[in-house]
Amino acid sequence: MNTEETILALNKHFPALEAVSNRPLRVFTAFAEPKAFEETLRYANLTLGYHKGKHIIGTDEGENIGLSYIISNDEDVLLVLRERVPKSAPHVHSMGELYPSLMLHEREMVDLFGVQVSGLPEGPRYPLPDCWPDGEYPMRKEWNPAYFNKQTVTYEPPKQEDAK
Amino acid sequence: MSDYREKNKVVVQIGPQHPSLKEPGSFKITLDGEKVERAVIEIGYNHRGIEKACESRNYIQALYIIERVCGICSHAHTSCFCQAFEEIAGLEVPRRAHYIRGIVGELERLHSHLLWLGVASHEIGFDTLFMYTWRDRELVLDLLARIGGNRVNYGVNTYGGVRRDLEPELMQDILTVCDLLEEKLKYYADLALTETTLIARLRGIGTLLPEDVRKYSAVGPVARAAGIMDDVRITEPYGVFREIAVNGITDDHCDVYGRTLVRVKEMLEAIRLIRIMVKEIPDGPISVRPPRKLPVGESLSRVEAPRGEDIHYIRSNGGESPDRVRVRAPSEANWHGMSHMLEGFQLADVPIIIAAIDPCYSCTDRAIHLIGDGINQLTDWAQIRALSIEQYKARGIDPGSIKIREF
Repeated sequence: MNTEETILALNKHFPALEAVSNRPLRVFTAFAEPKAFEETLRYANLTLGYHKGKHIIGTDEGENIGLSYIISNDEDVLLVLRERVPKSAPHVHSMGELYPSLMLHEREMVDLFGVQVSGLPEGPRYPLPDCWPDGEYPMRKEWNPAYFNKQTVTYEPPKQEDAK
Repeated sequence: MSDYREKNKVVVQIGPQHPSLKEPGSFKITLDGEKVERAVIEIGYNHRGIEKACESRNYIQALYIIERVCGICSHAHTSCFCQAFEEIAGLEVPRRAHYIRGIVGELERLHSHLLWLGVASHEIGFDTLFMYTWRDRELVLDLLARIGGNRVNYGVNTYGGVRRDLEPELMQDILTVCDLLEEKLKYYADLALTETTLIARLRGIGTLLPEDVRKYSAVGPVARAAGIMDDVRITEPYGVFREIAVNGITDDHCDVYGRTLVRVKEMLEAIRLIRIMVKEIPDGPISVRPPRKLPVGESLSRVEAPRGEDIHYIRSNGGESPDRVRVRAPSEANWHGMSHMLEGFQLADVPIIIAAIDPCYSCTDRAIHLIGDGINQLTDWAQIRALSIEQYKARGIDPGSIKIREF
């Protein structure tokens, strides 16, 4: 299935996704809510033949965390499907059953963005060390590396009074 | 009986620091006798926060950080990153710059595969081949040092083109090295096809079948050794590869031996491509002026690094710094299938199976040629040999009388 056929199929079944392409072999979609996203991912895998899980890119979207799943097919089209979850309670389901290669990237979402991934099998964390402080997610925009103490492995932002 | 076997299973911890590993990685191997029953892999020891660092720096600074993602395929990373930048900026890179990027990229593939062949030989106890290949790799590293001033992290790429031009004399030397290397690589290819010890040691281990390649999304030589043509230069030609066709190399052994054959043949293909690029390189400018700020936009770029498909993502919010940078290096893709490759094989095969995906590790960077200050710190092959002879003489041994073929 080539780029144009993918866009046609997605826009027919999931018009809210607004699938577009800005160059050959790339299809980007708009952010979707988790339930709609999971439905689209299953459709892409089981019906459109996108069976290779390439990558997950986490992004800080202000009040939300964005997760862009990059999957591919035999024609090597890169399809970017996106979901958005609130930063206050970010939770998604693991897609490891469909794409075993994405599990490592899901662990990365847990460590770097603080996204809870249910259904992820037990295993070592990735990529932060075991001593990393709980509740600190370094790829969120508000996390400032200047306040991270490498010697004590602690994150110490100035208190509100100090900042004033 | 089954209870007895279950109770006698042994868990062996390999790494994160271990003599058979060239980079920190942790492998918890459950053994049934000598057979690997389960492998739990823990990586991430080299995480340096490069992507976060890029977000707080301007695009030029980010490029130098990106070059240091990897000491071996640094040019592939900057090529991919520059492509993403150029796509958002709408820059038209000059043809000569594409050719120079292509030449350096294929030289990088040569030195990366030679490095791998040496490491793999060492892992199976074939240290003679290890020394031969690393000696030959020096020829390529010397060329790269002349092009960019450094053996690794050459700093050739910039947004809109390249920073270094190739003089006719240097291009002639590139062709001379290609001739020398071709002779040696044909010998190594013959060795790989006929040396029974090498074949027996590599064949049938670390198996990854085509369906496993798809399941675990393996890339590069690992995928191509399972008969799957996974080469970005062919599936999505970029830069000079839009003009010069690459002959894809595949193999159907689906094991460590297949990965060896693919890499050796790819080196011969790299030499063919370099010769064409040097012959057909057009005259003209080598760069265009890039903007300091990028318009709002995003780009997903990819190139074929020596280890496989390298993917870079840039999202711009219209400022001087990237809003988000994400690098999916090829080694990252090949880790997914590692447990599967290890399970069912012997403990003694673990080091070579791990090495067969060519996991990325940082090469010791040493600046040997400082361009522009008149100080030449280059130590050539003859000088290294003379120094070693002096050292041996100091210990009462005279190896100078031994006749060694000069290269």
